[in-house]
Amino acid sequence: MTAATRVRVRPRPPRVTAGVRTAGTQAFLWVLTVAFLAPVVWAVVSAFKPATAIVSDPLGLDIGTLTWDNFKLMFADVPIGQGFVNTAIVLAAKGSITLFCAPLAGYAFAKYRFPGRNLLFGTVLITLMLPVIVLIIPLLLEMKELGWVNTYQALILPGAVDAFAIFWMRQVIAEIPDELLDAARIDGCGEFGIFTRIVLPVIKPAMAGLAVLTVMNIYNDFVWPVVVASSERMATLQVVLSTLAQNITGNRIGADYATVTGELLAAVSVAMIPLLIIFVFLQKHFINGILAGSMKG
Amino acid sequence: MTTTALTADPAPQRGHRRAVLRRQLAPYAFILPFIAVFAAFGVYPMIFTLRLSFTDWRGSGTATWIGIDNYTYLLTNPAFWGSMANSGVLWLLIVPAQLVLGVLIAVALDNAKLRLRGFYRVAFLVPFVTPLVAVAQIWVVIFDRDYGVVNGLLGLVGLPDVGWLTTSAWAKPTLALLFLWKTTGFVVIILLSGLQAIDRSVYDAAEIDGANRLRRLWSITVPLLKRTLLFVVVLQTLAVFQMFAEPYVVTDGGPYGSTTTAGLYLYDHINRADLGTGAANSFLLVIVVMLMSLLFVRLLRTED
Repeated sequence: MTAATRVRVRPRPPRVTAGVRTAGTQAFLWVLTVAFLAPVVWAVVSAFKPATAIVSDPLGLDIGTLTWDNFKLMFADVPIGQGFVNTAIVLAAKGSITLFCAPLAGYAFAKYRFPGRNLLFGTVLITLMLPVIVLIIPLLLEMKELGWVNTYQALILPGAVDAFAIFWMRQVIAEIPDELLDAARIDGCGEFGIFTRIVLPVIKPAMAGLAVLTVMNIYNDFVWPVVVASSERMATLQVVLSTLAQNITGNRIGADYATVTGELLAAVSVAMIPLLIIFVFLQKHFINGILAGSMKG
Repeated sequence: MTTTALTADPAPQRGHRRAVLRRQLAPYAFILPFIAVFAAFGVYPMIFTLRLSFTDWRGSGTATWIGIDNYTYLLTNPAFWGSMANSGVLWLLIVPAQLVLGVLIAVALDNAKLRLRGFYRVAFLVPFVTPLVAVAQIWVVIFDRDYGVVNGLLGLVGLPDVGWLTTSAWAKPTLALLFLWKTTGFVVIILLSGLQAIDRSVYDAAEIDGANRLRRLWSITVPLLKRTLLFVVVLQTLAVFQMFAEPYVVTDGGPYGSTTTAGLYLYDHINRADLGTGAANSFLLVIVVMLMSLLFVRLLRTED
């Protein structure tokens, strides 16, 4: 067989120009972007429509009728302000505990050999596999035993150091070369000094990622707060939201469907604001942090 | 040089010994804050649940030891298997679709020359950072049979109303769509990290070989991405079988139990203060999820 026939046997496919190719990709991404953003945009825009219009004309938009009424009603009807305060308190305390404990423990697991290390880390891995919901019964009983039901401690301490955070930090810190740590040691740096002066600066991007992920998880946590902090005084933002939602799905007797829907969309819009702000500002760190963590996973 | 230094002056030796001791104790000090919280609110409740699963206990009074009765009760109960089946169907509706969609989006976003790349990355992650309760509630309103936007859109093109959340045929796909919409952005991020590890020159060789885009995606990207894909599958399997909040808010397990997931069924025992059964159900769920994860890991190993 000659070289010429071989070329004819395998002809090149017709070349699509780069321009058409990019246009196709852009079209594909635009369709999906619209699908991903539309529900959120719709919810926020609808929150400003008169409650009756949301229900009777969900797609229509009459600029002249836009109003703050849903927000006013919602703030008057549900303890969303208290929900924000409770969430902020839990977020500050629980987030600090996670961000303090996880890198330290991750450092110990990654860079020291000590008796009991494997047993401990194995236990961490097992809890990583366990559904959070498994621990709800005994945790609730523990809270009752301690008299912590409907308290901040109950919202803050359980789950404050989750296994995923430890695992992630260990992975990231394991990548730091030992020579770097030993060099610091020879220079007379103490063990904790090595952590603060060498390890922390190196893992900063992953820490930023962990911070955003932790904030997101705590802010959005809903299962545990519903179980342990159901009183109005202790309700977090997510508990307030879910109570409102049940008024719709549960067809609360006497509740006006349109009014509750309007209030709900207003509450949802307000609840999304803090997280979206945090996310847009930190998205670069967030994405890089996850990339740094999952590369080794 | 070290020896001379050590023999010449005993002080550094003492200092050295102290440094070694410090180094041996340091990990315990670093781990202590974590252990304190973990033991009290992680390990203790886990052992408690295990013990509880062999008893009959309604939340007060003394627990009666009943051996494996809770487990046999669940394993012979059609409702338990029904909840597992519901989660299984949801898994089928969610995971394959999410893998395809995730790979397509990730490959498109992997192109550094793509315009608006940063915007797309944020857009796809918006549902992921939006509070789940908020997302679920948007779903309730949008998919409402009488007033929802989706049926409004269908009406515009002359299609009849669909009871998205009120008929057992449509409730599962609607729930699956919610989950897909909420978590695909996160899957894309994980897949992007896998794509970045692929050597570019492999693609150049394939292009010279005349392989078209789809062909390159299927025979180069997907095989090289297998490890990451399996990581995603294990992660999402955990998430789907533990799914609780979504059906709790959107459908409350209905209509006719069609969206009572494994996670929600488990919650139901707790809600009725049937704590022994709930504990047993927890561990059965863990076993199922672990077996599935092991199966996926095995698949990875045999094909390597």
